[in-house]
Amino acid sequence: MTEVSIEKLTKDYGQGPAVNGISIRIAEGEFISLLGPSGCGKTTTLKMIAGFEDATEGAIRFDGRDVVHVPVEKRDIGMVFQNYALFPHMTVEKNLAFGLEMRKISKAEIRERITKVLDMVQLAGYAERYPRQLSGGQQQRVALARALVIEPKILLLDEPLANLDAKLREEMRVFIRDLQRRVGITTVYVTHDQAEAMTMSDRVVVMFGGRIAQIGTPSDIYERPSNLEVAEFVGQVNIIRGKVGSGTISTPFGNLPAAGAYADGTEIMLALRPEAVELLPVNSGTSGVPAKVRSSYYSGSLVDYRLDLADGATVNVQTFPRTRFADGDEVLIHAPVDRFWPLGPIRGTEA
Amino acid sequence: MSKPFFTVYCLIIYAFLLTPIAVVVIASFNAGAFLTFPPQGLSFRWYVVFFNNEVFMRAIRTSLWIAAVTMVISGIIGTTAAIFYVQYSGRLKEAVRIAMLAPLLLPEVLTAIALLFFVYSIGIGTQTMFGMIIGHVLITLPFVFINVSASMESYDPSWSMAAQSLGAGRFTRFRRIMLPLIKPGVIGGCLFAFIISFDIFTISFMLKNVGTSTLPIQLFDYLRTNFTPEAAAVSTCSIVLTLIVVVISEKMLGLRLHRF
Amino acid sequence: MNVAAKKRFGPLLLIAPAAILIGVFLVLPYLNIVVMSFRMPGQGTPYGPGFTLVNYGKFFSDIFYIQQVANTLWIGFVTTLACLILGYPVAWQLARGNSAFRAMGYGLVLSPLLVGIVIRSYGWTILLGNNGLINRTLMGWGIIDGPLPLMYNALGIVIALVHVFLPFMILPIMSAIQGIDPSLEAAARSLGASKATAFRRITLPLSLPGIQAGSILVFVLSLSAYVTPSLIGGLRVKTMAVTVVDALIDTFQWPFGSALALMLSVTGAIVVVVFGRLTVMKWKA
Ligand SMILES: Nc1ncnc2c1ncn2[C@@H]1O[C@H](COP(=O)(O)OP(=O)(O)OP(=O)(O)O)[C@@H](O)[C@H]1O
Ligand SMILES: [Mg+2]
Repeated sequence: MTEVSIEKLTKDYGQGPAVNGISIRIAEGEFISLLGPSGCGKTTTLKMIAGFEDATEGAIRFDGRDVVHVPVEKRDIGMVFQNYALFPHMTVEKNLAFGLEMRKISKAEIRERITKVLDMVQLAGYAERYPRQLSGGQQQRVALARALVIEPKILLLDEPLANLDAKLREEMRVFIRDLQRRVGITTVYVTHDQAEAMTMSDRVVVMFGGRIAQIGTPSDIYERPSNLEVAEFVGQVNIIRGKVGSGTISTPFGNLPAAGAYADGTEIMLALRPEAVELLPVNSGTSGVPAKVRSSYYSGSLVDYRLDLADGATVNVQTFPRTRFADGDEVLIHAPVDRFWPLGPIRGTEA
Repeated sequence: MSKPFFTVYCLIIYAFLLTPIAVVVIASFNAGAFLTFPPQGLSFRWYVVFFNNEVFMRAIRTSLWIAAVTMVISGIIGTTAAIFYVQYSGRLKEAVRIAMLAPLLLPEVLTAIALLFFVYSIGIGTQTMFGMIIGHVLITLPFVFINVSASMESYDPSWSMAAQSLGAGRFTRFRRIMLPLIKPGVIGGCLFAFIISFDIFTISFMLKNVGTSTLPIQLFDYLRTNFTPEAAAVSTCSIVLTLIVVVISEKMLGLRLHRF
Repeated sequence: MNVAAKKRFGPLLLIAPAAILIGVFLVLPYLNIVVMSFRMPGQGTPYGPGFTLVNYGKFFSDIFYIQQVANTLWIGFVTTLACLILGYPVAWQLARGNSAFRAMGYGLVLSPLLVGIVIRSYGWTILLGNNGLINRTLMGWGIIDGPLPLMYNALGIVIALVHVFLPFMILPIMSAIQGIDPSLEAAARSLGASKATAFRRITLPLSLPGIQAGSILVFVLSLSAYVTPSLIGGLRVKTMAVTVVDALIDTFQWPFGSALALMLSVTGAIVVVVFGRLTVMKWKA
């Protein structure tokens, strides 16, 4: 197992940096995701770790050893490509054997390892097939097996599930995560799908425009986003205005204890996730902010409401469909104080 | 135009395309001493004459030899160029393509003349086969290039990257991954080069070294003064040789393509 | 070499042999031929010392050469036109016809290309000669009394050239038609156009790029054809390419031969450019 450390890594293709001074320490056996919108530099970062691209600046270390001058084929990585890149002229078995042959491993051991890895990815009996005789999901697992069978120091995956349909994608998420836990291999996973990153990773690296916006556990990222961009990228969010004054932040939903060092009079943005909010009938006798249902969207396990507040603001709420409200209903909104997360001052209001 | 009329029209054109060739083949079996139609009886007599004609036999051997050498050189140069063109040429792509196709687009006569003067200007002259083989390679290069780059276009660079990530060095990646996958294009291009080279006239005519003659040149010389069906027998053999190459390639390519 | 340099320059090794081959043995020879055309004629040597315009002067002052260029251009023009008229319906059939017919037709169009040009021209001498198959047959049927003059004239050359170059006209037009969305014709029909009108107003104009490419190819190839005109035309009708080659082979007049070859290429190029201008397609820009 290998610890990977990336220091001030920069890549410039000639039109400004595609990756701009990022630093990440990946612990042994950790599953880390690079998450961000298209063009933010995820693939570029992964290619630099693999060695397909040279870094313009910065260092990449495997277990403390600088690998910048080590060519791809000597880095001992396992890589899964978005389109799988299975060799079309080789059977599954030959595909799996390829990396082992490069390592001059004996025929007997190759056979043994292939059997084992095929079991692991649940493809025993498919050894003689050609790639095009396999379904997308099966090809995906062969690609994974081919990367794992060489027992690499580090596993790199670039949007490996992007070409699968929604249901298979969810199955494969669990499959890959379980396999990675069992093997215990250090893994870097590139995706632009926030749900994928959240469910699979130990930690998520959120990137925008070649820079790291936040590194943290999935719950860090979701519940305690470092800024508005991150908050919006990893899920739906309501932005609530609050005003700092004598140790509290006053909001339409009540007063919160002022966290962080904001001067009195500063207006700040607070993130409030739609599912953190409760909707109550007006006559329930509890306290809450009155609102009116503008529209609702039923999706089976959940209902999304769009609500108008008295001051004209809109709040999105997601609840279980136990109590249904109709469009036009008057309701009370209740949001626990600890579910508000400050995202920083609104520009121009700092006192 | 109505459908049947249209079909008949096309058949007439196809007949027009094939007739002169068919006529040559039929004439080669003529028993008479002159090219007359209808043939005066069937015979292989002109084939016997041809096989005993050392001049023609030597020309055939020379042509086969030159075609083989041309195929190898053109095959290697054209293949590497096509790989560069598809994977690395970047913004130069169009320029590379035009340069590689230039020998095909420029008139062969002019190329032959230019090359003839050039080999004399640089002092090589036509004492050796050098000039002629260079000319053959130039003319056949575009065919290798077109065929190989067509198969390179469907070659996914991530196959090479995957092999590299699995520990394969430059040479192994080429030998084990890229070459097997672009093989149909390479073989097709090489066979094309062979056939084209075997038939090249003008370049050979201008650049041949003294004492050497290829089959098309020998045939041309013969036809200027003789009218016996021997020329038809020679032509038919040449056509058959080409056919053999085509059939072999079909078989080989067919096999390859069935593999994946 | 370090890793970065290897990555940058490694691929250049792939193109280097081709670049050298084309640069040294195609570009330089063509430049050389231009220079050669301005050389003094030599006495006993390929060319003399110093530079001159005398070779071009000789060309322009001799009506024989000018007439020959005109003849060659005329033969090229007629050949091209005949290829276009004969080839277009075949190209259409290959692009749009039913599939069984298509595969066979494609093979039939390509196969003559695999037979050497000497052999194909030879086939025409068998057909077109005074004692050839055509004249014999026609006389045998009593349709004509004496043989028709089919060989040793421009007509014979054109017939044989059309045969030799027809595939080069058919193939580009075929791929142009294949590239036209058939639903465009259907759309025209749905708007009330007859089949013929839909063809004339939609398919034909959209296939112009193929017509252009095929015509240029055939025209250029026919101007520079050597084997066919020299076998079919014999000593009586000579095209420019034949004159140039014979001049070089027999008389070793390199500077003048270069000038002749260049004049033929230049006039051909001018015709091609003018043709390109006339058939410019605004919608393609
Ligand atoms: N070979 C290259 N040459 C020039 N620019 C490049 C190259 N590869 C990537 N870029 C640029 O670098 C930036 C980052 O690209 P990258 O492929 O890393 O994005 P990504 O995060 O993987 O996006 P996606 O989710 O769309 O795959 C983009 O702006 C891209 O245009
Ligand atoms: Mg990417």
